[in-house]
Amino acid sequence: MTEPAERLRIPPKPTHRLRTALVVAAFAAFTIATCLPAIGGVELDFAAIAKNWQNGAEKVGQLLQPDLSFLPRTIGPMLETIQMAVLGAAVAAVVSVPLTLWAARPTNPEGVTRRIVRFLVNIVRAVPDLVYATILVAVVGVGALPGLLTLFLFDVGIVVKLVSEAIDSTDHPYMEAGRAAGGTQTQINRLTALPQTWPLFANQWLYALELNVRISAILGIVGAGGIGRLLDERRSFYAYDDVGVVILEILVVVIAIEAFSNFLRRRLV
Amino acid sequence: MRADARGTEAGATPSASASWSIRLDDVSVTYRNGTRALRGVSVDIAAGEMVSVVGLSGSGKSTLVRTINGLVPVTDGAVSVGPYAVTGLRGRRLRELRGHVGMIFQGFNLADRTDVYRNVLVGRFAHTPAYRTLVGWTTPRDRELALTALDSVGMLDKLWTRASALSGGQKQRVAIARALTQEPSVMLADEPVASLDPPTAHAVMGELRRINADRGLTVLVNIHLMDLARQYTTRMIGLRAGEVVYDGSAADATDADFEEIYGRPIQARDHLGSAS
Repeated sequence: MTEPAERLRIPPKPTHRLRTALVVAAFAAFTIATCLPAIGGVELDFAAIAKNWQNGAEKVGQLLQPDLSFLPRTIGPMLETIQMAVLGAAVAAVVSVPLTLWAARPTNPEGVTRRIVRFLVNIVRAVPDLVYATILVAVVGVGALPGLLTLFLFDVGIVVKLVSEAIDSTDHPYMEAGRAAGGTQTQINRLTALPQTWPLFANQWLYALELNVRISAILGIVGAGGIGRLLDERRSFYAYDDVGVVILEILVVVIAIEAFSNFLRRRLV
Repeated sequence: MRADARGTEAGATPSASASWSIRLDDVSVTYRNGTRALRGVSVDIAAGEMVSVVGLSGSGKSTLVRTINGLVPVTDGAVSVGPYAVTGLRGRRLRELRGHVGMIFQGFNLADRTDVYRNVLVGRFAHTPAYRTLVGWTTPRDRELALTALDSVGMLDKLWTRASALSGGQKQRVAIARALTQEPSVMLADEPVASLDPPTAHAVMGELRRINADRGLTVLVNIHLMDLARQYTTRMIGLRAGEVVYDGSAADATDADFEEIYGRPIQARDHLGSAS
């Protein structure tokens, strides 16, 4: 085993021990500093865990004893949540195609429109989903509609960003052929770039669907429809056995949707 | 066949596309990074000629061929193809010119994830309004041209095959069909056989020669192998460091001429070898 190493003159492997140590030390110092209230860090009262654990254990105990007779009442809101998730993902998928092709360099070499689209999408993405939901509830009223709009905006933001970056980082030799044949960028995108980038899209659309189920479960807390409203209501009545049912149901649905989207992903990609 | 340059356009049958001449007049290309790819190149190619451009990689072959369809803009000098002055062409007129110039590439440049049919339809871009491509509406004539072109290179039975499932030689045939679907007046080829094994390389070169002979098309082939240039083309242009160092008969080019083009003694890898 060691023979080739002795025979061949291997150049010494460069080491950066000092640099690595300094970087690690800096990270450690920064992390500790964020926990020191004296210099503006967060205040973490770990003692509260020890003080209140009895209280928490009681509630966890209730959660672990879900009252399954509550289940029928959850079906309707749960369906609403799934509907919001699917519809939001579907509409976002349609809208994301032209926006993504506009936002990626290979499919839109023209700099001005590309930067405008990227800028707008970045703004859309910068706003947290609960903020959208809260504002939209105020604008269009309580119900499934603000939830749907929230999911739509959230999905467009991530799909356009992730897919356009994936398009940016791959080679597109067929584009030169399309250009050499006298095609406009629109023609090249439609006939060749779209089938070529289809798996990238499909991947993120399915990911958006998975996220939607998870997010829409809590959007109801701010009044944007779905199972979250029920969750919030039962919690405010301290009916933790009912909350346990809802959480269990969300868990089942999320896992089911993930299994379903993994299945689709295998077939599509 | 070798009709005059301004020949027929609309309603022409596939074999009736006119052949065009190519003229480079003192052309220089300097890339933005400062590389001088071409220096004062002047070349006159008559309609219907079969010409090879020979040189090592980095000699400017790829740049030269791309100035002809405007993929690379010239820094100095003028390029004209048939009735078009390429220099300074933009937008719709440039796309119109490109529609008349077929091109194939070393890497085939097919859209791998889509079928052969759609790849070949790319050849109709210049003759199709963008909105029609957008809604995916193909005219019977476009379909006819695509199918005829595929048939002529023997790839019709692969019509619905994904491009990624084809072999290298098959891909290049599809790329040739894509170019023929344009009903081109000039055919450009940039190292079309550099990614292929010897028998397939000979088949593809034979295909290009047949296109030149049967349709009278002007064909310009970039190539770095001396035996292919001698065997398949009638005229050879030698490029070294962006300058023309040879322009004459391909068959009569001596080994000394090739050493001049390569700028070094001939090596075994300058030959492909014969088809097995």
